[in-house]
Amino acid sequence: MIRRRKIAAALSAAAVASMLLTGVAAGVASPATAATVPSWCGPKKITMGLTDGFGGNNWRLVTTASARNEVSKCPSVTKLLYADGQGNTTKAISDIKGMVAKGVKALVVFPDAGKAILPTLRAAYKAGVVTVPYRVDPSGVNGKDYTIFIPGDFVTDGKNWGTWTKKNFPNGANILFLSGPAGNSQGLDERKGFESVLGNGSGAYKYIGEQPFEVTNWDPALTQKVLTAAIAKYPKIDVIFSDFGPVMVSSLGEFTKSGRSIPALATSDGNILGCFYQDNVKANKDFKLMTVATGNDHVRLAVQQAVARATGGKVPAATAFKAPVFEDSTTGKPHPVQCNRSINDWTFLSAQMSGADQEALLKK
Amino acid sequence: MADRSAATLSKGSRFQVSKGLLTVLVSTVVLFALSAVLAPTSVAPGTLSGMLPFAGILAIVGLGQMLVIQQAGIDLSVAGSMSLAAVIVTVYPTGDNTKLVPALLMSFGVALLIGGLNGVLIGFLKLNPIIATLGTNSLLYGLVMAISQGIPRQTTKALQGIVTNNTLGIPNAVYFAAATLLVVIFFLRKTVAGRRFESIGASSAVASISGLRVRTHLALAYVWGQLLYTLAGVIIAGVISSPNGSMGDAYLLPSVAVVVLGGTSLLGGRGLPTATVVAAVFLSQLDQFVLALGVNFAVRTLVQAAALAIGVAIYTVDWSRVRSILTKLPSANGRGQNQASLPSA
Repeated sequence: MIRRRKIAAALSAAAVASMLLTGVAAGVASPATAATVPSWCGPKKITMGLTDGFGGNNWRLVTTASARNEVSKCPSVTKLLYADGQGNTTKAISDIKGMVAKGVKALVVFPDAGKAILPTLRAAYKAGVVTVPYRVDPSGVNGKDYTIFIPGDFVTDGKNWGTWTKKNFPNGANILFLSGPAGNSQGLDERKGFESVLGNGSGAYKYIGEQPFEVTNWDPALTQKVLTAAIAKYPKIDVIFSDFGPVMVSSLGEFTKSGRSIPALATSDGNILGCFYQDNVKANKDFKLMTVATGNDHVRLAVQQAVARATGGKVPAATAFKAPVFEDSTTGKPHPVQCNRSINDWTFLSAQMSGADQEALLKK
Repeated sequence: MADRSAATLSKGSRFQVSKGLLTVLVSTVVLFALSAVLAPTSVAPGTLSGMLPFAGILAIVGLGQMLVIQQAGIDLSVAGSMSLAAVIVTVYPTGDNTKLVPALLMSFGVALLIGGLNGVLIGFLKLNPIIATLGTNSLLYGLVMAISQGIPRQTTKALQGIVTNNTLGIPNAVYFAAATLLVVIFFLRKTVAGRRFESIGASSAVASISGLRVRTHLALAYVWGQLLYTLAGVIIAGVISSPNGSMGDAYLLPSVAVVVLGGTSLLGGRGLPTATVVAAVFLSQLDQFVLALGVNFAVRTLVQAAALAIGVAIYTVDWSRVRSILTKLPSANGRGQNQASLPSA
């Protein structure tokens, strides 16, 4: 009897242990189910603030929800305040000031206005708030103007595109690079990244079109015009690099109209793009697709950094968000091209948050 | 002021050709010739079929703006109106073809309301058109954000097909522009209401004394305008298969530019619809031409600005005065030459 009870106890202990283990494993893929408190969550109770310079699009909605999800993993954060600057720099500034006045101990900021927001960040930091701007560089110094800036690593994105191109076009290629507004730092960083792999354009890999990149303002209409001109001008375009994949969708049809195959595309992910690929790959023999994650999970690292410092948890070693490669149509690794037709086209399947959860968010 | 409409006509033939149409036609022909020589890819069939839908959209917006400018007004709600139409016809159906027709009715219904609002504010309450339409524009963008939440949706396949397919090798958007042009010409030239509309634009005081309903026509100009911006917004939603909430922004300045380049006076008066449409082709081709030249973005922007400045100068500079100054100059030069030649002689 006693022995049987012991066996039962051992069995149940093993069951609990395996449940815990699978829980941890599942936690990596879907952290919402993780039962344990993460190491970055310390014991000190805090109120936390999250501010957006502009929160009015789907990417931001998913990003904000990702931030809430990350914060919810740490019970020490008793309250989370959120404010949307609505594209108005003055409002963004007063949002941050308001949060400091309300006594937040940690503040995660998407500083859309860049340098304009720096004095406000500095004031918050001097007031003793753990201030963590991310993604857009407010051009200050860590430990002086704010606690720490968590940049996106666009150089790595460029490197990933370059590496993929080298593998799929070992003998060289004509590459057209499309980015946003003239001189934007994201585009310049990406260029640095792929030049480090493919050279400066004098070798087998040629950069065609306007240099350092074709200006599209990330606008679908301008992208379409630019691509139409490029298709007519360059009889051979092997690869297109673009840092906003979904916006390419309405333009790629221009290749078909000119009787040419859609070429290889190295870009960032989006459900609409994945579905476009699946619809068009058969008719376009040269169409290959590789994407890096659009980076909705960037905010998670910023939250971890801020919460760890304010609650006395273990500060994560990573200080920049490296967007992982998401899809690759040639190898299927880490994922084949993803498309979920049952949810909104403008969801990002690379985000930790599930497509269905994003859909629910967009329907609100 | 008095001769502003008369001066734009060259007399002598049964079909009167306006100075505006002549100027913009010649400019457009020259531009295409330059394109063919300097940047042949900008007139390649693929490029042209890519350019024409945008030219068509600009033409329709331009015609709407022209009807307002004819009444010495200006409509800055173009951007919001186009964006709202694009958003309504994509967000409401969200890919469902069967909901396209109700969405279209809804967007044109909104156009009537907004146009009516602009018309009442400007025609009856005598608000300054810049202020009134700027205000409505903000209102429209509020609606855009409320409806779309900043999230683009994909256009229904039906709309995309109707707008982007070719008929006889020409993109369908072009036919929409051509049909709009014909309707506007017919209205302005062949209907009594259209004739009254033009005469009110030329001189509202005279028209008022003649017993015409000046305020009603003035107000209606904004309604016609809204209907055309909405049509353009619907078409752009088809051309850009996933339009965002600010598609109209890029059309505000060009909508005024094509009207001015087409020779319609900003002071009101006779509208030149054909010239406006040709000017839309001109501006769109200029865009593609500079893109095909491969110059950088800054130069592209400068070239477009310069074209606009030159275009405006053609009509607004008092050339007879310039001529009279110039004709005085040679005689002055002549004297100078005489004086200079004296010592050497």
